[in-house]
Amino acid sequence: MYKSTDPGGAVIIARMPVNRVVPLVAREVLGEAYLLLTFRHPETAREARPGQFVMIKAGISAEPPLRRPFSILSTDAARETVTLFVKAVGPGSRRLCAMAEGEEAQCLGPLGRPFTPPPAGVEALLVAGGYGVAPLRFLLDELRGTGGRGTLFYGGRTGADLVLLDRVGGPGVTVVPATEDGSLGERGRVTVPLEAHLDAARGSVRLYACGPDPMMHAVARIASARSLEAEVSLDAWMGCGVGTCLGCVVRVQAPAEGRWKYRCACTDGPVFDSARVLWPGEDESRARRASAQEARR
Amino acid sequence: MNLAVEIAGIRLKNPLLAASGTFGYGVEYEGILDLSILGGIVSKGLYMEPRDGAPTPRIVETPSGLLNAIGLQGVGIHAFVRDVLPRMAKHDTALLVNVCGDTVEEYAEVARVCDGAPGIAGLEVNISCPNVKKGGLAFGGDPRMTREVVAAVRRVTRLPVIPKLSPNVGDIAVFARAAEEAGADALSCINTLLGLAVDVEARRPKLGFGTGGLSGPAIRPIAVRMAWQAARAVKIPVIGIGGIACASDALEFLIAGCRAVQIGTANFVDPGVHERVLAGLRDYLERHGLDDVNSVVGTLEYPGLPRPCDVPGTGGEGGCA
Repeated sequence: MYKSTDPGGAVIIARMPVNRVVPLVAREVLGEAYLLLTFRHPETAREARPGQFVMIKAGISAEPPLRRPFSILSTDAARETVTLFVKAVGPGSRRLCAMAEGEEAQCLGPLGRPFTPPPAGVEALLVAGGYGVAPLRFLLDELRGTGGRGTLFYGGRTGADLVLLDRVGGPGVTVVPATEDGSLGERGRVTVPLEAHLDAARGSVRLYACGPDPMMHAVARIASARSLEAEVSLDAWMGCGVGTCLGCVVRVQAPAEGRWKYRCACTDGPVFDSARVLWPGEDESRARRASAQEARR
Repeated sequence: MNLAVEIAGIRLKNPLLAASGTFGYGVEYEGILDLSILGGIVSKGLYMEPRDGAPTPRIVETPSGLLNAIGLQGVGIHAFVRDVLPRMAKHDTALLVNVCGDTVEEYAEVARVCDGAPGIAGLEVNISCPNVKKGGLAFGGDPRMTREVVAAVRRVTRLPVIPKLSPNVGDIAVFARAAEEAGADALSCINTLLGLAVDVEARRPKLGFGTGGLSGPAIRPIAVRMAWQAARAVKIPVIGIGGIACASDALEFLIAGCRAVQIGTANFVDPGVHERVLAGLRDYLERHGLDDVNSVVGTLEYPGLPRPCDVPGTGGEGGCA
């Protein structure tokens, strides 16, 4: 389920999510803190698009109270399964990671606005920061399925953060790893090889990013400076996943209304046009300038 | 088996309502849930104009609870009447509007708009939101202001008027009586408890607004106690709210003297919670050989006190079983 983000436009609700008790059908440990968890959720397996997510919680205990949002890493319509890339960081994810095969979770999905696939002939440039690789891997899978091509710039602090490195390649896909400590791929921020690629690129490209806010903000600045289209998948604390708690809101510029508005990351996003996002620390005057520029373009 | 209850002239097909702020305007759950299984829905709080709400972060999880400061972000009453009411008309459930205001006059103005709109079953008057600088708790924390707001709303509408009381007061009975005297038809008890969570690394509040309102199972015993105190203090019915996640939680409030209950935070945790609680209520009545949910209302055997339902003219006149 997601809404149209056209300012003042009609609310379009699509792909109604389904709330289910879902068994864990496969569990694979990756590295020291990551797991691939595969659940049976037929509707999500059939209908989910890259960039969408599920709200999920292990068991029915009161602690911790809330479900957690997880981007969908991949789906298998034939097996009716959905696979999530999970890192044990807090009580919710730790409980998910402690699940054994056959145990059940509560899961609502598919949720959120997906990425907009690149038009034919446009090269997709994907920028992942560590854990943020999950929805981009799903997008790469879809691109491969439609004969498109893409380059994944896969960054992290160290090589250990690039857990899915051997699972993201394939025909039509170029993977460019980068680590801040230089332990894998190029040394430095992932945006360095991205900019080098853009300097050399001839055809039209479209950017997709998911990772820490500063990385996505950097990608947004690069896109803005070069007048490129970019979509970012934002991470936010979510209460409900369906737009009722208003806990996950982000500041999004609404040019038609002349100012920013709070929009739900769960139903207006999590994927947003990067030019419209007002990043943490940015003030409204910059946002006004940006939307004025946009109006002139 | 009868699950229907009546609150201030509003017939609910069962005693479960979705609490304000946890169910949007109802339409958000179209297609996810069969809305007709709900006894009723209380809308997100509405002012005359749209509101941005509080700065982020807005929610933080706490032990068995949720601390929030959303700050009553909303579309405003006119957009609600224009866009939401027609869509909700096709769902067979009672729709109540949570009425907000910065001033006494604004509460009355919102109520007046509701009075002329079709499809609204009643008004819940929000005098207890802890997350706004004006209105909200400023009215619900002072019995004189409580009386003034409730009377102002009462004057402009024929719809049932249901003030939502704050737990952030010394004696809720004082506020319950003030609301009753000012013309309230029922009471909603309780709103969230004022709380503060601190990010110890940054040494700042975890919420953008600073303080927030605590909800969820963590507050249930406090909520049951305060709803019970309010129900004992007034003749009008009380709707219990606070941390309900299963049938026995709902039954605690009913037995303590509430005629109906609202489910809040649990909607986030499990969109199927209403169905689950209803099944549990039916099961309970069956196990106890009862055929009417009203017959459990006010049946609390409290040491040294008569059962609320045995006291003539109190909120628990449900007919003891």
